Amino acid sequence: MKTTGFRSFILYLLVGAFLFGLGVFLYGLALDGGDWAVQPFNRHITGESQTAAEGRVLDRNGTVLAQTKDGRRVYGGDATTRRAMLHAVGDTRGYISTGVQHSFRSDLIGYNHVTGLTSPTGKTNGSDVQLTLDSGLCRLARQKLGSRNGAAAVYNYRTGELLCMVSTPDFDPQNPPKDLNTDKTGKYSGVYVNKVLSSALTPGSIFKLVTSACAIENIPDLDQRTWNCSGSVIINGNKITDLYAYGRLSFKNALAKSSNVAFSQIAVELGAGRMQAKANAMGFNRSFSLDGIPSAKSVYNVASASPDELAWSGVGQYTDLVNPYHMLVLMGAVANGGTPVMPYFIKRVAAPLGLEAKTGRAQAGPALLGAETARRLAEYMRYNVAHQYGDGLFPGLEVCAKTGTAQVSGRGDNCWMVGFSSRAETPLAFAVVVENSTQGSIASAGRLASALMVQAAKIQ
Amino acid sequence: MNLPAEIISVLLYALRVAVPLLCISIAHRCFRSLKLGKRKEEPVVVLEDASSRTVLPVLYWENSIGRSRSCDIVLHDPTVSRAHAVLMRRESGWLVTDTNSRAGTLVNGKKVKQDAPVFPGDTITVGSTALTLKRTADVGVAQPQSPPRRRAASPFHLMQLVVLVQFLLFVQACFAPAKPSLEPLVPFAALLVLEWGLYFYSMKILGRVSFELETLAFLLCSVGIMLLCGEGVKTTYTQLLGVAIGTVLYCFLIWFLGSPARVMRWRVAAGVLAMLLFAANLLLAKEHNGARNWITLGPFSLQPSELIKIAFILVGASTLDRLQTYKNLTGFIAFSAICMGALFLMRDFGTACVFFVTFLIIAFMRSGSLRTISLACSVAVLGAFLILKFKPYVAERFAAWRHVWSHVNDAGGYQQVRVLSYAATGGLFGVGLGKGCLKDVFAGDSDLVFGMLCEEQGLILALTVVLILAALASSARANATRSRSTLYSISACAAGGMLLFQTCLNVFGATDVLPLTGVTLPFISLGGSSMVSVWGLLAFLKANDERTYAARRRRS
Repeated sequence: MKTTGFRSFILYLLVGAFLFGLGVFLYGLALDGGDWAVQPFNRHITGESQTAAEGRVLDRNGTVLAQTKDGRRVYGGDATTRRAMLHAVGDTRGYISTGVQHSFRSDLIGYNHVTGLTSPTGKTNGSDVQLTLDSGLCRLARQKLGSRNGAAAVYNYRTGELLCMVSTPDFDPQNPPKDLNTDKTGKYSGVYVNKVLSSALTPGSIFKLVTSACAIENIPDLDQRTWNCSGSVIINGNKITDLYAYGRLSFKNALAKSSNVAFSQIAVELGAGRMQAKANAMGFNRSFSLDGIPSAKSVYNVASASPDELAWSGVGQYTDLVNPYHMLVLMGAVANGGTPVMPYFIKRVAAPLGLEAKTGRAQAGPALLGAETARRLAEYMRYNVAHQYGDGLFPGLEVCAKTGTAQVSGRGDNCWMVGFSSRAETPLAFAVVVENSTQGSIASAGRLASALMVQAAKIQ
Repeated sequence: MNLPAEIISVLLYALRVAVPLLCISIAHRCFRSLKLGKRKEEPVVVLEDASSRTVLPVLYWENSIGRSRSCDIVLHDPTVSRAHAVLMRRESGWLVTDTNSRAGTLVNGKKVKQDAPVFPGDTITVGSTALTLKRTADVGVAQPQSPPRRRAASPFHLMQLVVLVQFLLFVQACFAPAKPSLEPLVPFAALLVLEWGLYFYSMKILGRVSFELETLAFLLCSVGIMLLCGEGVKTTYTQLLGVAIGTVLYCFLIWFLGSPARVMRWRVAAGVLAMLLFAANLLLAKEHNGARNWITLGPFSLQPSELIKIAFILVGASTLDRLQTYKNLTGFIAFSAICMGALFLMRDFGTACVFFVTFLIIAFMRSGSLRTISLACSVAVLGAFLILKFKPYVAERFAAWRHVWSHVNDAGGYQQVRVLSYAATGGLFGVGLGKGCLKDVFAGDSDLVFGMLCEEQGLILALTVVLILAALASSARANATRSRSTLYSISACAAGGMLLFQTCLNVFGATDVLPLTGVTLPFISLGGSSMVSVWGLLAFLKANDERTYAARRRRS
């Protein structure tokens, strides 16, 4: 009997396994319960027996961007505003996975662990999610992009508030085109992708900021050095060219003129190891997050690059790719002495009874640059605008910036402009890109950035 | 805004908060009462060594005597076999059985084989040791003063609380349809008749003192039946019939188990019957949703494998003297292999797993041999590997396991993601009886019933239900040395383990912790055969409680 009693402990194994399994389930429920509940197939949200409805999405000024009326999702504003806000807000069917209506669906529907999707009164109306975005500014960006594909983002690098996030191509979520999913011409290619967060594009000359940062830290007599920019240079048998022969250039003028000849030589001089280390430190090959939504990684990899490839990588070609959101964060870092304030776009999530479930606030990100490097880089970037691009683009804003024109094989150029206003009153950083452009970077990305910064400076 | 509708909604919500709290309270008191009802380890009789005058306490209802340290009464005598004899208490009194010892066993100088009666004052000789059976009082061993017993909750009061829970569920069920109706009165009344019928039969006619297990079973049944009532009253008829037949089977089994000797005589018959049932199943059953585990008899369809569970445990369990005499497990292993083979042919893998785990529990409790267990597990793993290799469609059923979210709309994960989604929808207190959506998903009220419980009644009640099932298994274990025979200990642990493992497969299969195999949640899932079998298994737990068979003695 004693022995039988002792052997009966085998049941404790089973009880232990049971409790473990229950723990796995409950852990999942605690962690992902909200996501489980708000699935599109859940007939408590859709369908006749609807008990839960999604709340509204508002912009920073309280403009309604999306709401549910009579069981249908309705989008606010005119067609341009709706298109401008598409990628931030998301579509009705949930294809845009980075949109608020997908990523914050459980908040919108008002899920909580105690009452689930229901409430004692039987019906829930969901919670309102207010964004930091300014729909007017986004609309302007959308207007300026016109029929061109691209992305634009502006944020306040002191408070972290994201003011503008626009990506094209897009569609009007209120009236989705019939051929949206059947089109074969490619006009909607990437329509569900928010390019600010999820794209990685060839950077061209904006990458010279990384090469510059590396040079600042590794070439002691950088400001005394000059480069003879005669229009082209041959590295490892490969010819690297400039638009013009600029003659002898100091470092800051080489950056302002964006001389490939100078920067390709600087990259080779610095070497693959230093370039790779600096790029990694500045946020390449890693993902950032916007309120928990991960961004695509910027890519810089010269581990197996030949000298000419290293040279091309230093001017933002080769296999280099950058993500616009990363560039925005990097601009925030340069503006803030090396450590960025991370952007956020969820201003607040309202909970029932007037409570707030979530409130966005400024949070420091990882240090991307040393303070001294950031200061000197900002100086060079300020010189770019003052002496090359012209302060007329950004009147009174004392903008520090860098343009880029990346050659993409088989297509037009990617025109970039990234930068920030160095005035304390207008702590705004921006990153814009216009794809497949036939114009120069100032004419395309520059004009866009100019319009956005002038408008954004008026936002309080 | 319709104000009365909102008030009703708030009131129903309050009921959904009250029900799990009441259930927790009832369960707590039942298990406390079970614990208080357990006898302390005090000897009733002792054995006195005739030469050394050493007093050996006899602590159990069945006691092994031998040289081995694992025996209940250890004798340091080289002429005594390692497992020499078994001294056991039966209704007729104390009996001794020689378990193939070398030197033999004598009572008052006469050599005995099996079930020789021993009275106080008689001398049992094993090897060269002579032991005299004496009452504890006779040897002057002071009866340890038992501390004043804490009062356990009265069974009648607990049953009243169960009725209260049923009433609250009944009220919810009335409001389940779009237009409130009194139809749920039918299952409510039927449950009242069944539970009070069993209560009076058991407590008043048979004079038993305990009713905790039955109380818990009726509590679980009412949660299950009222949940099904949300789909329509007709759904509950099968369940009610299952409970009715189940309680009759329960009473019969408790009577049947009353005599261990009778059980041992009928074991072979039970095994043969089980195999005949399997054969009938394989011959008669038509394929139904990928498994062939149903046979149809006129208007009734039944699942033989559910009833075979009871036979399986009967065949596996054994009294201590048998355990000590016939040590090998060959017969039982062969029987188990046939059962599991039949289940594989029926493609009922879930039930095959349940049988396998039950086999492991019984095999380990009988032999204590880790070698047997690991061998059985290796064979099972090899078997599973071969099946997955040569029957790829089996593997397909498990392909979605742990990544069901990539199979939202195909067969692999369709059911599980809906369980997770709807379970989360319910929160802690559910969306309301009959207001759920999971019931419209295939097998929502059987294989996925845990999700349905979470969705409509909330996580707290669902957890309470499954924790009660786990606690039943634990209580079987706690009683393992107190029961009147190892027959009861082994069968109760096997039955408790079977119920708990079935709970695991059901709950974890539905929630994607384990692959979905499609077994029922005891007492809750829709299924008449399953309900009957669960009550049968409960009889093993009841027999394990030594108070169950105490009444008769007390009255005589």
